[in-house]
Amino acid sequence: MKHATKILALLLALVMGLSLVACGGGDSSTPTADGGAGTGNGGGSTGGSTSGQKLVIWALADDLKDIGAYYQEQTGVEVEVNVIAPADYPTKLQTAIMGHDDTVDIIMGEPQMLGDMFEYGAFADLDALGAQEYAGKQTDYVWQFGKDNDGVQRAIGYQITPAGIFYRRDIAEKVFGTDDADAIGELFKDYDTILQTAQTLKDAGYRCFASDSEMNYFSNDEPWVVDGKLNVSQGRWDYMDMVIELYQKDLTAYCSAWSTPWYLAMAGSVPILSADDNVWSEDFESEHANDEQVEVFSFALPTWGTLTLRDHVGDLSGLWGVCAGPNPGWGGGALMGISTYSKNPELAWDFIQFATLNDDEADWWIEFSEGDVVALLSAQERHKDDENEVYGNQKLYAFWAEQAAKIDPSTVTQYDQQIGDAWGAAIGKIKTGELSREDAVNEFYDKVASTYPELVIERDA
Amino acid sequence: MKSKRSKLTAYNRWGYAFVAPFVIVFAIFNIYPVLRTLYLSFTDLKVVGDPNWVGLDNYVRVFTDKFFWRALGNTVRIWGVNIVLQLGLAFLLVIVFSNLNWKIKGLQQFRIIYYLPNLIAATSIAFLFQTLLDHRFGTFNVMLSGIYKLFGATYNPIDWLGSPNAAPYTIAVIQSWIWFGNSFLMLMASVQGISKDYFEAAAIDGAGTWTIFRRITLPLINPIMMYVAITSLIGGLQMFDLPYLMVNAATASYDDVQTVMMYLYKFGFTPGSIQTSYASAVAYALFLIILLVTLIQLKFFNKDK
Repeated sequence: MKHATKILALLLALVMGLSLVACGGGDSSTPTADGGAGTGNGGGSTGGSTSGQKLVIWALADDLKDIGAYYQEQTGVEVEVNVIAPADYPTKLQTAIMGHDDTVDIIMGEPQMLGDMFEYGAFADLDALGAQEYAGKQTDYVWQFGKDNDGVQRAIGYQITPAGIFYRRDIAEKVFGTDDADAIGELFKDYDTILQTAQTLKDAGYRCFASDSEMNYFSNDEPWVVDGKLNVSQGRWDYMDMVIELYQKDLTAYCSAWSTPWYLAMAGSVPILSADDNVWSEDFESEHANDEQVEVFSFALPTWGTLTLRDHVGDLSGLWGVCAGPNPGWGGGALMGISTYSKNPELAWDFIQFATLNDDEADWWIEFSEGDVVALLSAQERHKDDENEVYGNQKLYAFWAEQAAKIDPSTVTQYDQQIGDAWGAAIGKIKTGELSREDAVNEFYDKVASTYPELVIERDA
Repeated sequence: MKSKRSKLTAYNRWGYAFVAPFVIVFAIFNIYPVLRTLYLSFTDLKVVGDPNWVGLDNYVRVFTDKFFWRALGNTVRIWGVNIVLQLGLAFLLVIVFSNLNWKIKGLQQFRIIYYLPNLIAATSIAFLFQTLLDHRFGTFNVMLSGIYKLFGATYNPIDWLGSPNAAPYTIAVIQSWIWFGNSFLMLMASVQGISKDYFEAAAIDGAGTWTIFRRITLPLINPIMMYVAITSLIGGLQMFDLPYLMVNAATASYDDVQTVMMYLYKFGFTPGSIQTSYASAVAYALFLIILLVTLIQLKFFNKDK
């Protein structure tokens, strides 16, 4: 009996131990391909020599699932795509890299994330695999985003994401007498002109923007930090003044960006409120009997906004156009590279070439995604005359390529998110009267100093 | 005799084998990270690389940073309002359901209903309340407007999540809505553990509902109250999900809802501002504060013993 108890106890301990091993094993039990067999031919593999191998991708968006499936279909390589939420991605990647995880082959990063990721060595050197052969074949700003501080190519993007102003052609025709993209672009050429345009639209019974944060994509005219010093450019101050005036002079529809009313404004009229209006007062309805619903003229979004609007404009499809903003701007867009500890660097490189530098794949992706704008210049050239029905048959590919060419990649820094948020909070406090301009700006400086003690800050309110 | 003892000793050694799996896992996943974090808090490590010893620099920075203290103040404010509402409501329900004279039926069903908010994911709650509490278009303001209209008054809509004056309290109320069912469950279980004899004897002696609650119920559920208060405090000081999900970092009210955990997250995990060693120091500062407050709480609850 005593022996039986011992044996039983031992078995239990063994089971517990094995369970723990199994729990900790994670993906390591999944079969991985033996490295070094990738074809590595220019522009990505379409042959069968890679068949039977496996690639693991940590993606930031579902796009990669489709591209991965297409690659698998073309090559026979098994592609496992794990989509990870952007908020979790940096931590997960950092942990994997610190643990020398060799189960992931392709990793990604948004431009603002890449600085840190390059610094801790997450991305392998793509120049060693021949990346520079493709220099000049992609839109320059995206190519530059993929370089580390020493100029080594570590990531390559598959799309461009310049921002533009999507506007209602029918309203433009009525208020400004033209719906031409260049002419409307002139109405958004600088912040002062934007305020005039917004006032004209308000006087005509429309609102220029749904929210007052639309121009944010265009506000990054200079880097936030230059040579270790906080740089609040004149453009930033002008942007602040414009947002405050948009809010305080009731020039927007007061929707919060990405809220339900904001989306609704794409399809037609929304209830309009002013800062002083008391929408719930008994007199509100009689006072605003004629203007309680209003239509919004424009939205500012990057290239992917083409699809966002397409899916929300409803019956207004065909009545939209896109023009340039006050400055070159961009938003989002992920770049991909090879994990430093990948066991399949050559196969991973083959996939990256396929997804970012392959003409056939680019053509397929443009058609499959119904309008995503690829970074490959040859594909942009081939599609420059493509017309988009939702946008009044405007040739969007040519437009986006032109905007992308103006983007200065040097304005991006790893400080953008935090300093940009602090700046946005300061603007919010001033526009709602929560704090005086001086106090809000001083608090902004304090916050930057608290977050980045190493920065030199010269206060100027 | 000797062989019997050695046999027993040998037999007892098996105990080490049985607890070994737990101890190993505990050491790897609990003790090591705690000690490693302590070590890192005295270094200058940003993301990865070799940490250099900087002594107490990070702690000096923590305790002299006004945004840390503001975050702590926000945390205490949100938790304070939350715990008053949460325990207040839970106690009210305990009084109602434990009163022998009232004989309220359906305790089981009510327990489930009150506990339900606790089962909803924080992301869903955040999205739900963001929509309901929208400044200009939210259902909540529309309803309030309707109520005001009934009384012929005018309602000036409140920006529940955008106004620095309203946002922390809005989040506190939502937190209490989530957690009051949990507190009620524990307090009610504790009350049900008290012998009915006490209540019946008190009732025969002519004690009223309030007297019974104050003189019998409260003293006898003191240990559970202490447990609820301490766990709530620890959870409250680590509050993160709701304020993080409900208020965008670029909005005016963010500085008034940023909790210590959000402050820590900014330095520990947000790309562009990762300073691992500083985040470690913040974590230990928070640990010390929680420890201190918990000791005070223990002293307070045990003072009558």
